Amino acid sequence: MWQVYFKELTELLRDKKTLIFVILLPILIFPVLFGIVGLVMATTTSKAMEQQHRYVIINEQQAPEFAEALFYHKNFKKVDTTLSTEQELVAAIRNNEFDVALVIPADFASRKAAVQQTEWQLIYNRSSQLDFMYNYFDDMLSSYTAELQRATLSQLGVDPANLNAIIKPVQLSRVNTAEQRENLGESMGAILAYALVLLCLTGAMYPAVDMGAGEKERGTLETLLICPVSRTAIVLGKFLTVLTTALMTALITVVSLGVWGAIISAFADLSKVSEALASITVLDLVLMFSLLLPTAAIFASLLLAISIYARTFKEAQNYMSPLTILVIVPLMVAMAPGMELSVTTALIPLTNIALAIKELLKGTADYGLLALIFASTTALACALIAFCVHWFQQEKVLFR
Amino acid sequence: MIEIKGLAKAFAISKSNKLSATEKQDVRYSDKAFHSVRDVSFQCGPGEVLGLLGPNGAGKTTTLRMLSTALKQDSGSVFINGIDVLQKPIQARKEIGFLSADTGLYGKLTAFENIAYFARLHGMKEAALKTRIDELFTLLDMHNFANRRVDTMSTGMKQKTAIARAVVHSPKVVILDEPTTGLDIMTVQTVLDFITSLKEQGTPVIFSTHHLDEVSALCDRVVVIDKGISSFAGSLEQFKQLTPDGDLRQAFLAVIANQPQQGAA
Repeated sequence: MWQVYFKELTELLRDKKTLIFVILLPILIFPVLFGIVGLVMATTTSKAMEQQHRYVIINEQQAPEFAEALFYHKNFKKVDTTLSTEQELVAAIRNNEFDVALVIPADFASRKAAVQQTEWQLIYNRSSQLDFMYNYFDDMLSSYTAELQRATLSQLGVDPANLNAIIKPVQLSRVNTAEQRENLGESMGAILAYALVLLCLTGAMYPAVDMGAGEKERGTLETLLICPVSRTAIVLGKFLTVLTTALMTALITVVSLGVWGAIISAFADLSKVSEALASITVLDLVLMFSLLLPTAAIFASLLLAISIYARTFKEAQNYMSPLTILVIVPLMVAMAPGMELSVTTALIPLTNIALAIKELLKGTADYGLLALIFASTTALACALIAFCVHWFQQEKVLFR
Repeated sequence: MIEIKGLAKAFAISKSNKLSATEKQDVRYSDKAFHSVRDVSFQCGPGEVLGLLGPNGAGKTTTLRMLSTALKQDSGSVFINGIDVLQKPIQARKEIGFLSADTGLYGKLTAFENIAYFARLHGMKEAALKTRIDELFTLLDMHNFANRRVDTMSTGMKQKTAIARAVVHSPKVVILDEPTTGLDIMTVQTVLDFITSLKEQGTPVIFSTHHLDEVSALCDRVVVIDKGISSFAGSLEQFKQLTPDGDLRQAFLAVIANQPQQGAA
């Protein structure tokens, strides 16, 4: 078994594709992912913040202070118009004559004087992801209405000392009981689990294809089968190699995440992120790795069984593609809002691992449930390894 | 000594596989199975070279696979130096050196690493393994590409490596499945010389081939397999006597046309 293992490992280490999938991809995936997301977000945000919106204002004489504030706002440029109805304004925006129209009722001044509520209309295209324009209006309107409230209340004879209490009788201040680590675990945990499990799969995929279907295609399998070694030893040697590459991928991913996290924290001065990462103990990492071990074994045995069945490299890859989707679905379930680790979810393969990794990162893991996950995943892995060994004894599989 | 008696092997036909008109007429096909080998018997003694002949798809490779323990026979028996391959496959494998139609080498390993890997799988110790490989490198003139990766080698180099890999454990019997197919003249000669050297050492050799000149030059015994049956099994002389002028091609065609004809098995 070990002869097969070491030989397979030597071959894999000399293969460029393996090095890319097992070492390079996990090292580069996080900086590339963070970099691309950061760059896209920064560019989009900066572009949205610098954008100047063309506006028209109907009945501006009803609220001259607001019209003036809008006129001097750096993100707005006034456009003169003779249009007045809603249909006309909508059509003009669709024709790109201007971006936004603010309609102040024609009786606003008189209704204000009579202390009556009015409704202003903001017409614009809301399909943009970053709706900065609405925020600008909202801010300006808040300041404007606050001034109006004060003026009206003073006019009604309210003591200026009580104005704040009347305008906002209750102010809510929030005290967060969650540790920084818990926040980080909640926001990052599911994504990290998703990446780890998926990288375990991709790390195992290419070596598995090479060791089953690849051997058939190259004509080396037959030579191997007639060596005085049991077929169980051969398949276990191959299984261990695939398992090693899957775990290596996961391990390199975790180390890469740690290293890049530290680099980003240092340069971006994200002390809270550094503190949160530092609070993750060695035990947490060991537990995380312990959960990934049977998961990687499940992938290794499944992929090897598929590969042994396939006649060619291409056929094996075709069979493996649906497996990727089958893996992604339970991981996506774990990422759904409100999904928590419980006795039920602890028995759902892959969803349980993703939820457990999230809990471990948050520092709120229930060790009883972790033991249940480890036991159920290990039982499934053992069953699949047994199937893989049985599969490798079948002539109809080996000589299709 | 290799003894084969009444060997048979069938493969299940998948339900989705519909038989063609030609296949339906072929006696080897039934509703559920393809009887690749139906009744093959022959023997090959020490120092004998046995040529296994037959048309494509006759059942030669399946027979050799059963001989080499890669496949288990449905019925019949195979004894390698008295060892029943069905009962003691691992023990039988120690006795066999097998060279398939593909070279069966790992492209990313060097010639030395390929041979050493199989030597270790045969349980050889490091010191013995190195001595034996060095001996084979000298015998096959392989020293100049010993540390070269297989995927950068010429066909001739690969074939020499495959031969060395097949006999690194000093097998008691050697089985070669079309060892000269697709090779240039120089490499063919290397293979034929190697078979001759095995014969001189008293090792029984079975090799399947389509080249009758090789049979004429090397073989002591001939077996013709057609439609899964050993239609002829006898000495080279008996095979030649099947036609008046001793022409092997005519003899082969005569066996295929008038099966079965049994010589002294």
